[in-house]
Parts: sequence; C-alpha cells; structure tokens
Amino acid sequence: MQSKGWVANGARHKRHRREYTQYMSLPALLLFCAFFVYPLIRGVGMSLTDWDGMGEATFIGLNNFARFFQDARAMGDIKTTLIFAAGSAILLNLVGLMYALLMEKPFHGRSATRVIIYLPAIISPLIMGYIWYFLLQPGRGFLYHAMEQLGTSFQLGNWMSDYPTTMTVLILVNVWQYAGMTMIIYLAGLQNISSDLREAAMIDGASTWQRFTRVTLPLLMPAIRINIVTNIIGSLSVFDVIMSLTEGGPGYATESLSIYIMRMCYGSRTGYSTAVAMILFMIILIPVLISMRLTRAKD
Amino acid sequence: MKKVLALLLALTLCLSVLTAVADTKVSFFTGKIETIDLLNGIIDEFNAANPGIVVEQEYQNDASSVIKVKFASGEVPDVMTTYEQEFVDQGKYLDLSDMSDWWSRLVPSMKDSCTDLKTGKQFRVCTNMTMAGFFYNKEIYAKLGLTPATTWDEFVANLTTIKQQMPDVTPWFIFGKEAWHLGHLIEFIPHGYLKQTLGALECKKAMLNNDSAKLNFGAADGAMAVFAQNLLDLQKNGLINEDVLTATSDNCVEAFVTGKAAMFSNGMWALSGLLEANPDMADKIGFAPYPAYMPNSKPVVLCAEDSGYSISATSSNVDAAKAFLNYLFNADNQKKYSEALGSPSAFTDVDANWAPAAFAAEVKNVLNTAVNIGFTNEKPAGFSGDDAGRLVQDLLAGTYDAQGFAKAYEKAWNEGF
Repeated sequence: MQSKGWVANGARHKRHRREYTQYMSLPALLLFCAFFVYPLIRGVGMSLTDWDGMGEATFIGLNNFARFFQDARAMGDIKTTLIFAAGSAILLNLVGLMYALLMEKPFHGRSATRVIIYLPAIISPLIMGYIWYFLLQPGRGFLYHAMEQLGTSFQLGNWMSDYPTTMTVLILVNVWQYAGMTMIIYLAGLQNISSDLREAAMIDGASTWQRFTRVTLPLLMPAIRINIVTNIIGSLSVFDVIMSLTEGGPGYATESLSIYIMRMCYGSRTGYSTAVAMILFMIILIPVLISMRLTRAKD
Repeated sequence: MKKVLALLLALTLCLSVLTAVADTKVSFFTGKIETIDLLNGIIDEFNAANPGIVVEQEYQNDASSVIKVKFASGEVPDVMTTYEQEFVDQGKYLDLSDMSDWWSRLVPSMKDSCTDLKTGKQFRVCTNMTMAGFFYNKEIYAKLGLTPATTWDEFVANLTTIKQQMPDVTPWFIFGKEAWHLGHLIEFIPHGYLKQTLGALECKKAMLNNDSAKLNFGAADGAMAVFAQNLLDLQKNGLINEDVLTATSDNCVEAFVTGKAAMFSNGMWALSGLLEANPDMADKIGFAPYPAYMPNSKPVVLCAEDSGYSISATSSNVDAAKAFLNYLFNADNQKKYSEALGSPSAFTDVDANWAPAAFAAEVKNVLNTAVNIGFTNEKPAGFSGDDAGRLVQDLLAGTYDAQGFAKAYEKAWNEGF
C-alpha cells in the first residue's frame, strides 16, 4: 500500500516536473512570437496594401501578388534566383563532401588545411564579393593580370558580358566561400559512422565506390539533409554576393529576388515588396519541405 | 563621508539629467560625406555659442533610403539634406518661403530651383550650385591640337583623333558598373535636349504630367533613340572603354589622373577626388559642355542646386533648427563650406576659392556659353535615375538596339507613374 503511494507520488512529481519545465520554454516562445509570428502576420497584412512606406495604406486585396507574376523583371529575377540556388546547392554539397572525404584522412597539416578551407565562411559575403571583384574585374583585376602574364587572360575575358558566364562566376564565388561550412557538417557526419561498418563491408569484398554508395552515403543522410536545407535557404535568399559583384547587372540580368525586394521597398513600394517577400518565403519553403521529405524517407 | 559622497553623486546625476532635459536637441541628418568634418566643427561652434541647443549630426551613406525608414518609423530628423518630390507631396517638409533673409542672399536661379512647381513654395534652401559636363585632360588636348567640341560630329572627331594618335588612351571613359553614372548621361544628354527645346518650366510640367506628345521618348528619331545610337556607335568604334559595364568611378579617376583616359562625364563633386589622387592635375583639368547632338540644338551644361537643407514639418524644434541654419548660412561658414564641397556657393555674398583658378574660370565660361539645365526632380516615383542607368547597361550589353532602347525607356517611364 505504501509502495503504491510512493509510485503515485513519484508519477505526480514527474508530471509536475514536466509541466514546470514546459513553462521554461515560455521566454523562447515569447521571443519567437515577437520576432517571427507577429512580423509575419503584420507582413501578410501589409502585402495586401499599396503602402508606400510613409503615407496611408489602402487595402488592395491580392493585386500585389497578381502584379508580381505579370512583371517580366520579377520573372527574370525568379529565374536568376532559382539558377543560383540550384547551382550553388548542388556544387556546395559536392565540393563540401569532397573536401570532407579528403579531410577525413590523416595527413600532415590536416588541421591547418581544414581551417584554411573554412576561413572564407567567416568573412562577410559582401566583403568577399568585393575582394573577388577586385580579383576578377575584366581588364583590371589582379587575377586577370596574372592570367595575362601567362597569356591566358582571354579565358577570363569580360565575364559580365553574357548571362551564363556571369551566373557561373557568381555561383563559383558563393561555393568557394561556403564549401568549408558544408565540409564541417559532412565531417561531423562521417565521424559518426562506425568504422566497424566500413571494415565489415571491406571484408565482404565491397569496392571503394560500393562502400561509399552503400555504407557511407546512406549513413550520411542526416548531414546531407542539413546541408541541402541550409544551402537552399541561403542560396535562395542570396543578396550580398550578387550586390558586390554585379549589383544585379548588367541591367537587371543578375538581380536576385532579395535585391528586387530591397529595391522595391526603397522605391516607395513597400506593400508590393512585402508581397514579394511572402512569395520568396513560399519559394524557399517548398524545396526545403520537399528535400526534407525525400531525405527523411531515405534516412 | 560615504553619505556625502553618495549625495554629491546623486546631485550630479540629477543635474546632468535636468541639463539634458533642458537642452533642445536638433537632429541633423545628412548623406554628404564631403562635409562631415567641416559641419562637425561648425556644429561645435554653434553649440558653444547657443547654450540650451544641441545639434547632433548623423551621416548615412545611403541617406535617401535611410530617410524613408526614418519617415516610416516616425523618427524624423529636424534638419535634413535629403529631398524628394514625393516627400514634398506628402507634406513632410516645413514651408520655408517666408525666410526672406535667406532668399534675398540667394542667386535668383537657385531660388527658382528650390521652388516646388506644384505649390510655388520653397521647402529647402540650397547652399551651393553644382555643374556637370565633360572633364578633359588639357595636356592631351593641347598635344593633339584639339578644342572642346560643341557639336556631336566634332565630339566624335575629337575622340577618333585621340584613339588614332594615342592608342593607349581611352578617349571617353564611362564607369558603367555604377548605374547612377549612366542615368546621369540620360539626364544630361537626352533630358538636357528636352529641357532646352521645351524650356525649363515647360519641360518640368511635361514630365510632371507625363505629356507623352512633348516628351516623345519612344520616337525612332527622338532624343532617346539618337542618344542610344550615338552611344552604340562609339562603343562599336572603340571610342569608349572596353570594360564600360564593369568599370567603377575609382577606375575612372585612376585612368584620368594617370593620363590613360582623355575625358569623362561627371559633376563638380568629382573634382576633389581627382585632385586628391593627383594634385599635379590641378592645371591640367579642363571642363566642357555636353555637345549638341540633335538638329538645331545647342551644347548643354548642368547648373543645378546642390546641398539643400530642409526642416521637418513635424519638428518640435523649428526655432532651434532655424537658428542652426542661420548660423550655417552665414557668409564665413559658407565660404568654408563651398571650399570643402568643391562647388560654388549659391549665396551672392560668398566669395570662395572652390576650385583651382583656371578650372573655375573655364567652368564660368562654359556656364556663359552653353544652355544651363537643372536636374529632373519631376521623374516618376517608380523610375529612378538608377533604373534609367540600368537600361543603358542593357543597351551597352547588347540587349537593345537604339529604337528598342527608346521604346523600353518610354515603357519604364510610363509604368513609373
């Protein structure tokens, strides 16, 4: 009888403790509501108005959203943003994984090499973009002059003269900067894979490729998921790299949606720019959800 | 002892709080980097001479954007140098029309430039004038026996001679990575033509009312298409820099002061940068108008208001703000201001050495011989000078031919309203 009482007391105590600890999340919840939920709700409201940022706002329904899809410049910006995001996400994961596989193996100066690869990620992307502009500027950049000395400056040429080359440069600069960050996540994933599994596969006669595709890759799925999601989010909301390298030009050729939102907002079209921000939110959300679902299924 | 010390500290704290409360704080917002240090000095003098008023300067690089945020958040500065027609329309500025002490000292054309076309009132006072045209290397011109062009044919002939005689020199350097610079070319050349043919006031009205019959931006033989074709021809013939789409203003300054560029288009604000980069250039910089490029037109030079000061309509410190501007506008301060800014004063009683004497004389000569035009403040709100410049980038990148460019410009202009 007494023991039953202890059990009941213990359960009640546990329940109380659980309830008490749940309240501990209240400050975080309040902050989340204040800085995410509330602005989001205000943003939705604002996106349905013609507010210019200063005067009175008039409710105009879904006009801003309709106008966005009729704007050729905005459609071009979606194309640029998607190409940049797809190219960056794919290359970042490939290069990051390659780096991780190389850096996993022991060799002299491994720690220093890891730091060097990771270093660009801690520098402001805006500064990084300007540094690369000084290196790559056609006819004037340091890299251009170095290649000129080697008689190969024509390969760099005027990279801003056509869209594919400009986009390639933008993506490569982004990959160069953030590959180290992707590598760190993959390295953590690789270190979590038990060496027993790989050894067992080796004893069973699996080739290097088979060990990688059948053992390493499936067990790396959580790291892949994190990298894909963060790379998609980061690349779809790209601003700094493009702003510093091309300013979205020539014309609006390489303008991303984030830059478009900023320009519309400062162009006294605050309501419209908020609507575009909502659209960008959805554009980011859809591929993130899909990639999470796909990788979770494989996981 | 401890009690006395605590009392003294509390007293000091109370006194400083009371002093802070008693002071009238005048917030002054500016985007003019050239005058920050000078104004800090003037503000210190003003604060010392006016107990009870404290002026605080805030500089923002992207002032025209930041001021919108300030208006939106209600944190509007008392005095500001940013001025937009849309803010005037929304009643953001205090009417300064009755400040006769200021207006009586101002060059009449500058007062006109400060007058809002819609209301006929003045909401800002411009302390300086700025000019824009071609800065050219007098040494190169003298060596090749060239004189500044007054017609487009002469202009092209000059550029061709430079290219042929001095192949390492860029005849006309355009820093097209910076969209505002290309936007200025539109502002000074095709818009300049419209202003001289329609007249300043009629052109302003036509732009304000989007009178397409008068503006005629999309016409195949109109000012915009001819300008675009001329630019394409120069690009095709190698008379402008190859890297026109990626060159920056720093590149331009470097090329000009080292003799690698013979000329470039810009305003007086570029002068201090040139002299800083190479003080030996002082006697070598010439100034020329934009040549006449349409039939029956004349060379054009920008002579516009610069450095405008406004007071917020919602300011609770209007008297203190006016006292500060009174102090800033006195002749001694304006002499220093003009020399720091590198542009002539708009006040008639200020005699400043704003540029090397020979250059200042040449500017004066151009102002006397070319048609003087002002900036277009009546542009549609949704089509900025940067937007216009981006269309020129597209033109130079091969997206448009001349007529396509004119049509695109007309479309963007109309959609901007």
